[in-house]
Amino acid sequence: MILEVKKLETGYGKLQVLRGIDLSVGKESVGLFGPNGAGKTTIINAIMGIVKPWAGTVEFEGKSIGGNPTHMVARAGIALVPQERELFPGMSVADNLELGAAYVPRGKPIMAQQLEVVLTLFPILKERYTQLVGTMSGGQQRMVAIGRALMANPALLILDEPSLGLQPSIVAEVFDRLAILKKDIAILVTEQNVRESLKAIDRGYVIENGVVLLEDTAKGLANNPHVISAYLGI
Amino acid sequence: MAKKRNATILVAVITVAAVVILFWRPTVLIYGLQAAGLYASIAIPMGLILGIVHIVNLAHGEFMMLAAYATFMVCQAFGLDPFVAMVPVALVTAAFGFMIYKLTIRQALKSPELNQLILTFGISIAITQLINLSFTSQTRKMSFDYVSASVDIGELSFGIYNFVFVVIAILMVIGLRLYLTKTISGKAALAVGQNPKGASIVGIDVDKTYGFVFALASGMIGMMGALFITRSSIFPGVGGPFTMKSFCLIAMAGVGNIPGILGASVLLGISENFLKAFRGTRGWADIVFFVLIITVILGRSIKGKKA
Ligand SMILES: Nc1ncnc2c1ncn2[C@@H]1O[C@H](COP(=O)(O)OP(=O)(O)OP(=O)(O)O)[C@@H](O)[C@H]1O
Ligand SMILES: [Mg+2]
Repeated sequence: MILEVKKLETGYGKLQVLRGIDLSVGKESVGLFGPNGAGKTTIINAIMGIVKPWAGTVEFEGKSIGGNPTHMVARAGIALVPQERELFPGMSVADNLELGAAYVPRGKPIMAQQLEVVLTLFPILKERYTQLVGTMSGGQQRMVAIGRALMANPALLILDEPSLGLQPSIVAEVFDRLAILKKDIAILVTEQNVRESLKAIDRGYVIENGVVLLEDTAKGLANNPHVISAYLGI
Repeated sequence: MAKKRNATILVAVITVAAVVILFWRPTVLIYGLQAAGLYASIAIPMGLILGIVHIVNLAHGEFMMLAAYATFMVCQAFGLDPFVAMVPVALVTAAFGFMIYKLTIRQALKSPELNQLILTFGISIAITQLINLSFTSQTRKMSFDYVSASVDIGELSFGIYNFVFVVIAILMVIGLRLYLTKTISGKAALAVGQNPKGASIVGIDVDKTYGFVFALASGMIGMMGALFITRSSIFPGVGGPFTMKSFCLIAMAGVGNIPGILGASVLLGISENFLKAFRGTRGWADIVFFVLIITVILGRSIKGKKA
């Protein structure tokens, strides 16, 4: 297993959000689904050390990383595309991408290659290479955020709502790209757009009220009556 | 577009005013620029901390005063020139700044801004009183021959030593710009200033960066403290007004705009020396920065409301 989360509990202040989450990601692409406020971003925050786990364990490549500071988790090989993007608005596309790799041991030595990969994936970033990220559209910034994460050459790529704010044709494109990427990188992705993402993932979890309600293969989820009525809206 | 035109008009007005002053009272311009150099080189390190760590260090002037006293002691004890003493003094001040960051500022980063202000204000008082107790409130002065260097152009004779500070201010701006835009560690510092959460996500150690920036800025103000003693006498309260003026200049330039501090300093330096040129208004020179900061902030608020 690349990522192994067991009995994870955490929250904000006194508010408990996660009530014992078990999930794992191998060399595959895994989806996290659930309504707004279910705790998907909180799971990611706990993995990344943005919030500290209250109980339970988080293991990455066999080593415990639960409660490690965020920059150490990133250096270990987990790259995150946050829901709010969290880019450096006053810096160029070039600098944002460079910083994606500069502090990660897995990414730094092959920075030039990774840049090639990212610019091939998102040609628009090549055109806008020197533009300040803060002056780009939301969708373009999403591409910078995905590109920045790929620069780290991560072992695990976490994407929190990657299609948020993207036009449908680009969403389809992003999932095509994810399907290509998953050959080399383990992926954990949360999505409101369950229909599109089911095409790109191998397995998925449905999170509701801070617990895992369902766990199944993409095909299994697509045929599950609860998923169909609650998320596919048929 | 309108913004660009406004800026052009402003630059034009300032240029015309400068040319008029140059012919009418050249010394106003010369001493104004020299004062601007000093103000800017003291304000820039404070601006660096505010821009990246987002802390208003109200003990900034006291750091400088402390470094000035350290220089005074070193120079007296070893017969060194402040331009030599500034190297070890800057290093010690950097270490001192780093310690202050680790022991106090770091703990207050997540608390409300008011708490941070009270903290740095408290540090400033503590440093002042510490010096007061160990050195008394008596003023200290050192004199050096090179400080009185002057130049005669026709009728006009003026001191040139203080242009040193203009050179230092310009070097600081250029040096910081190169560091922040051309080196990886500088870019990382800039990234931390713009989005600490985003920076930690890509593996940048935010706490370490804050500590480094605090030490760097403290080292710069330590160097200024060492050189300050060449031009002024020192006493425990000498730093306070520079904290206020530095803060005013940073507010005028806008947070994170380090080159803008140069422009704001020129405006402040020349206005002060303009008032000093007349017997009737001489006493007003010390409050001109209040008028400037109020004008700038009001102007910005009104503009903000319109937008
Ligand atoms: N920074 C925070 N401080 C306090 N409470 C928070 C914070 N972030 C999230 N929460 C709470 O935690 C719960 C879970 O939020 P979370 O962001 O994990 O949901 P999510 O599944 O990602 O939802 P969405 O689909 O809207 O992104 C919510 O009830 C939310 O109010
Ligand atoms: Mg979320």
